[in-house]
Amino acid sequence: MLRSATRVAFNPVGIRLLASQCSFLRFSSDAHSPTPPLPPHQDPSHQQQQESSASAAGEHKEEESSGKTHSERRGRVQSDYQTEQLRVLQAALPHVVKLGWSERALISGARDVGVSPSIVGTFARKEAALVEYFMDDCLQRLIDIIDSGVDLSNLILSGRLAKLIQIRLEMQAPYISKWPQALSIQAQPMNIPTSFKQRALLIDEIWHASGDQSTDIDWYVKRTVLGGIYSTSEVYMVTDHSPEFRDTWSFLDRRIKDAFDLQKSVQEATYLAEAVGAGMGTSLQGFMKRVFQGSS
Amino acid sequence: MAVWRGSTRNLMKKLSSMLTPASLLHSHATSFGFKEVPEEEKGRMVGNVFSSVAANYDLMNDLMSVGLHRLWKDRLVSKLHPFPGMKHLDVAGGTGDIAFRVLESVNNVSSRALHGDELQDETQIYVCDIIPNMLSVGKKRALERGLGRNRTLLWVEGDAEALSFGDCSMDGYTIAFGIRNVTHIEKALAEAYRVLKRGGRFLCLELSHVELPVLKQLYDYYSFSVIPAMGELVASDRESYQYLVESIRRFPTQETFAGMISDAGFQKVEYENLVGGVVAIHSGLKI
Repeated sequence: MLRSATRVAFNPVGIRLLASQCSFLRFSSDAHSPTPPLPPHQDPSHQQQQESSASAAGEHKEEESSGKTHSERRGRVQSDYQTEQLRVLQAALPHVVKLGWSERALISGARDVGVSPSIVGTFARKEAALVEYFMDDCLQRLIDIIDSGVDLSNLILSGRLAKLIQIRLEMQAPYISKWPQALSIQAQPMNIPTSFKQRALLIDEIWHASGDQSTDIDWYVKRTVLGGIYSTSEVYMVTDHSPEFRDTWSFLDRRIKDAFDLQKSVQEATYLAEAVGAGMGTSLQGFMKRVFQGSS
Repeated sequence: MAVWRGSTRNLMKKLSSMLTPASLLHSHATSFGFKEVPEEEKGRMVGNVFSSVAANYDLMNDLMSVGLHRLWKDRLVSKLHPFPGMKHLDVAGGTGDIAFRVLESVNNVSSRALHGDELQDETQIYVCDIIPNMLSVGKKRALERGLGRNRTLLWVEGDAEALSFGDCSMDGYTIAFGIRNVTHIEKALAEAYRVLKRGGRFLCLELSHVELPVLKQLYDYYSFSVIPAMGELVASDRESYQYLVESIRRFPTQETFAGMISDAGFQKVEYENLVGGVVAIHSGLKI
């Protein structure tokens, strides 16, 4: 978790750069070893900034806007109530299929672990807390799967990406009937900062695991493109009724192929532009030459 | 030698007990408004005040807070998040204001739910008050609302410092405009902690301290000049309302009170100021 926290660098600068640098769409397909890539502009102060912003977001989750947590200020940060809250969230997940991402699922979860359901009142954003817990849990499981050595070595980059996204999306399969609700909860204005951050972390983890270690400006481009592919596949999956979501996986493969094709087209376009530019240059040169010859 | 050591130990014990803040708070004089009164007296005097204001209590609340107290109580209950099957204890809530709201909120939740009905029957809301007059006001209002035969509402006469309920028996504990009148706040908090289950929540709505400059002056003028006059006019009882405004000033500040709640053992202690601190909602979680 911490490892990936240091790697996320979705900042406004990146997005601005992204707009101007879209033509450099290059995927490094030769990388294999999954050593942690550093995002561009990675220096200690930058990293610190991200961590502090991440922790600020965490605090926001725990504290109501006007409320103040005393035990935390008194230095008892590793408090029991957070562990209890996590236990309740964990126990609430099995109820989601029946009750949805709702307060009632949380209440049932609290009953299951023998804690008074009153504790549900301490979650600042109830349904969102449950969805966010699930997202974190899935990310952790994905990291565990990657660390335990999922076999990716015989796949090319596009195959590795598709495989990892598939592993991640399959975790949502049991909840697919309630996933539209989760998406709508994540899209609520109050929850957008966290859900955006969680997706950024996830995409980052997937890129990292598929062996990308570039640190140039493409870092942003690649993550945005993959984020788009992930989200569209996620939405596609919601209405996919084929057995074992076969259609979703072929949709995913096609989208990744499109992205790589686009990269090729962009490259071809660049070459063409270069060629045209060179041709224009020569003809202009020739034209100027003739003009000057004529005048002299 | 042994005797000497024993006596020093005694002396040390005495000294340390004199120096701890708890002993200072448990000194034999306590406040009744701005007056210092013997501890035994305060309970009786508070009892007198509330017995005499019980009849006009709701009218005066509406007048003094310009109706805002209804919103504050709504806010308290929405923070509580009542659920079907809940065992709730409302202390110092004789008139039933909080209890009715909790009941209504539970009914709303279970009507939204499709199969919460078997739990709905298990819901129990205890209303505990030390003043019998206040309880009878509440019971009368329950009858008026058609809740006279409702088995979920239970009216209990009892002291916040010595509750008659078992350990770990409640999901929620609320005290609205009551803790200020308790002689030993620590004892009341300890009792709240005792009766709550793991995961149970303590919520306290109380008139508190305003720190915003202009608002503070306005509020002071209002409470020291307007409220006692209003009490005299409407309830013909100036002293009781004089006590009310003085006791607000004697109550610990938001921060201090939050510290006291933490000291009682509660976790995730938070408070929310309403109307710039005229009232504050403190909350704590028992784990």
